[in-house]
Amino acid sequence: MSIRKLAALGLSAAFVLGACSDSGSSAAPSGAAAADCTVGVSWNNFQQPRWAAADKPNIQETVEAAGGKYIDADANLSNEQQLTDIDSLINQGANVLILLAQDTEAVLPGVQKAKDAGIPVISYDRLIEDTAALYITFDNVAVGEAEAKAILEKVPTGNYVLIKGDPGDPNASTFLPQGWDNAGLADKVASGDITILGPAEGTFTDGWKTETAQKNMEAIIDQANASGQKIDAILAENDSTALGVVAALTAKSYGFPPLSGQDGDPANLNNVALGKQYVDVWKNANELGKAAGQFAIDLCNGTAMSDLSLPDGFIDASVAPAAGPAVQDFTTPGGNVVKSLILQPTPITAENLDVVINAGWWATKDDICKGVTASDPGASACGL
Amino acid sequence: MTNLAEAPSQSGQQRPGTVTSIRRLIAQTEIDVRLFGMLVALAVILLTFNVLTDGTFLRPTNMVTLSVQAAGIAIIATGMVLVIVSRNIDLSVGSLVGFVAMSYALLMTDWLPLLGLGPDFPFRWAIALAIGIAIGAGFGALQGFIIAYIGVPSFIVTLGGLLSIRGLVWYLSNGAAISGIDRNFQLLGGGAQGSIGGTLTWVAAIIGCIAIVALLVNGRRQRRRFDFPVRPMWAEVLLAGAGCVAVLGLAAFANANLWPTGLANRIAIEQGWGEAPEGGWQIATGLPIPILLVIGVGLVMTWLATRRRFGRYVYAYGGNPDAAELAGINTRLTILKTYVVMGILCSIAASISAARLNGATLDIGVSYELYVIAAAVIGGTSFSGGIGTISGAILGAFVMASLSYGLSYMGVISPGQNVAAGIVLIAAVGFDTYNRRRGS
Repeated sequence: MSIRKLAALGLSAAFVLGACSDSGSSAAPSGAAAADCTVGVSWNNFQQPRWAAADKPNIQETVEAAGGKYIDADANLSNEQQLTDIDSLINQGANVLILLAQDTEAVLPGVQKAKDAGIPVISYDRLIEDTAALYITFDNVAVGEAEAKAILEKVPTGNYVLIKGDPGDPNASTFLPQGWDNAGLADKVASGDITILGPAEGTFTDGWKTETAQKNMEAIIDQANASGQKIDAILAENDSTALGVVAALTAKSYGFPPLSGQDGDPANLNNVALGKQYVDVWKNANELGKAAGQFAIDLCNGTAMSDLSLPDGFIDASVAPAAGPAVQDFTTPGGNVVKSLILQPTPITAENLDVVINAGWWATKDDICKGVTASDPGASACGL
Repeated sequence: MTNLAEAPSQSGQQRPGTVTSIRRLIAQTEIDVRLFGMLVALAVILLTFNVLTDGTFLRPTNMVTLSVQAAGIAIIATGMVLVIVSRNIDLSVGSLVGFVAMSYALLMTDWLPLLGLGPDFPFRWAIALAIGIAIGAGFGALQGFIIAYIGVPSFIVTLGGLLSIRGLVWYLSNGAAISGIDRNFQLLGGGAQGSIGGTLTWVAAIIGCIAIVALLVNGRRQRRRFDFPVRPMWAEVLLAGAGCVAVLGLAAFANANLWPTGLANRIAIEQGWGEAPEGGWQIATGLPIPILLVIGVGLVMTWLATRRRFGRYVYAYGGNPDAAELAGINTRLTILKTYVVMGILCSIAASISAARLNGATLDIGVSYELYVIAAAVIGGTSFSGGIGTISGAILGAFVMASLSYGLSYMGVISPGQNVAAGIVLIAAVGFDTYNRRRGS
């Protein structure tokens, strides 16, 4: 315990220091010539490459194409830094704020400041518990559902291993498992079609760390071997943990039972092409960024939050919200009703890898097809 | 491990006035009682898990997994002993492991091909390893220089290192996971193919056994030559016997770990071995390469610490910095060297991590510094300087890894594992402190 806390302390110090230099460069003084609409974005973590590589350019392009001005800051995983960033974005004249919250509660003082200044707030990808914030995200329950659906279709009965993410993240402990159960996991466990190896509630992975997932998976494989059970399928909640699972399977020469993940990280899409990971549920963040950029512009132009609606064909049909292009009411876990736009994720297997290859995703074809040979599942998508 | 455990140690103290007869017998064998106690503690932990898991825990496969998981921490902990003994600290090891691991991954996927060294270039794994070790030594030398020659406290310098080197890892890959390293390099991570096989394991064990006997004989001869008291003959025979039994037992145990059936069948087809014999292929994996690295590093570091001038200087400085300085020891250079050694050890540990993962992620090595310091301290290294053994630190790493592997084998979730690790850390040091106080 003390070890972890010290580590967390050391790390948060790391991110604070890092943040000082980062925000200094990206949140440059706005100068006098402010455009009609300035959209300020507060990111929580550019350490994870997806945000800078996919989300940011799409928001920026959409805003700038509509004649607006884009400014941003990265809080490097620090709640405190994020509040400072929000102040700074407001002071720079932001007319709309897009917030990727580090913490759904800790960000609330910043949201309050924005509300006081009459600035509309979009909570981007991660929920903010405030009725005034518009929630734009992918359906996390649907992500879990897509993971489990793909694996359950492939392996309807047998022994499953559940690898979950950080125990403190509601996505890991609530939303994704809820999706798994929606796809039928709980029923099949109850009926005895599926047996869970290891702890029944799954194995959590501190900080979603790849090395930790790898160690846990090695212990589970040893345990299964010791009791003479065969692992038929593995549900991993995301890509960093799935990467650790693949490493453990490789170290144990276990072969590669169907394995899930989400995020569309390059190394994982490569594993899909190589047949080491069966499905990677992809949240096409390019489209999420476009939608957020468009709504930010609309809010700037005075459209009421409840009247927001995306133009026809503005985002790709594959991610189009199940509830249509207009914002809907969404009841949060905290009991608030917020306006929301919830996009649909896309399960990627070797069969439809070309979708992500052709989408201009930040994982390039070179990344995805590295080392793929004609006998691998991804051969045709890689043009072999 | 046992041959290390019985190497002469820094903390073995004898107090002739107070010993009972059993104690005198133990004292005559010159076994480090502390270290022996730790071996017993480790055995108790393993046996407890074995009971709790209905006797499945002590299978060779499990012990091999556990050892490979402990390898990285054990290797770095041997260096941390020297750093702590010389009254310093190194908090940057985890970040350095991350940086070097990412460098290995990028060397083999991007950088070396740019230099025209494609995937088929011979000994690419060795080239990458050499560059990685140079990077580690370079960071170590830089930090060591600032600490020893500029005089900035090591806590501050390496805290800065922890932050900034981890930041640099991000710049190497823009935060993305990099995968796809050379097949030969991957062998450093162990696994069935990264092990040396049954025959070589026996050969290594027999060499180890001969070496133990040779060391004891040589030691006895040297002591005679300088009129030092020698152990009684029965103690020499006991040590040689116990050492050989332990080494050969370890080999037999490692060889009881067999190749997974699927892998054996696949390789059999690839290599054209023909039909599988009755009951399937029975191929012994033997010792995995990471374990050999731990043994090798442990031997070299013990030799450095106890047989070389550098090691003596480190302990002399740790025992009394002023006296060491006055005695004419180049203390600054000695301190700098401890950090270079640390950097090299981090690079070796990073090679195991990168090989095991077939690449590198942004978070490789996060919080290693804490586990490494914990291993050294559980192994008897004292923060007041001058006291600590290499073999103790390796044992400490195994104690920590046994706990974490055992708990996850039993399905205890990670917060529970952290609670256990923290309690054991405090308990081990508390017990040790109590014993030392009682002893004096």
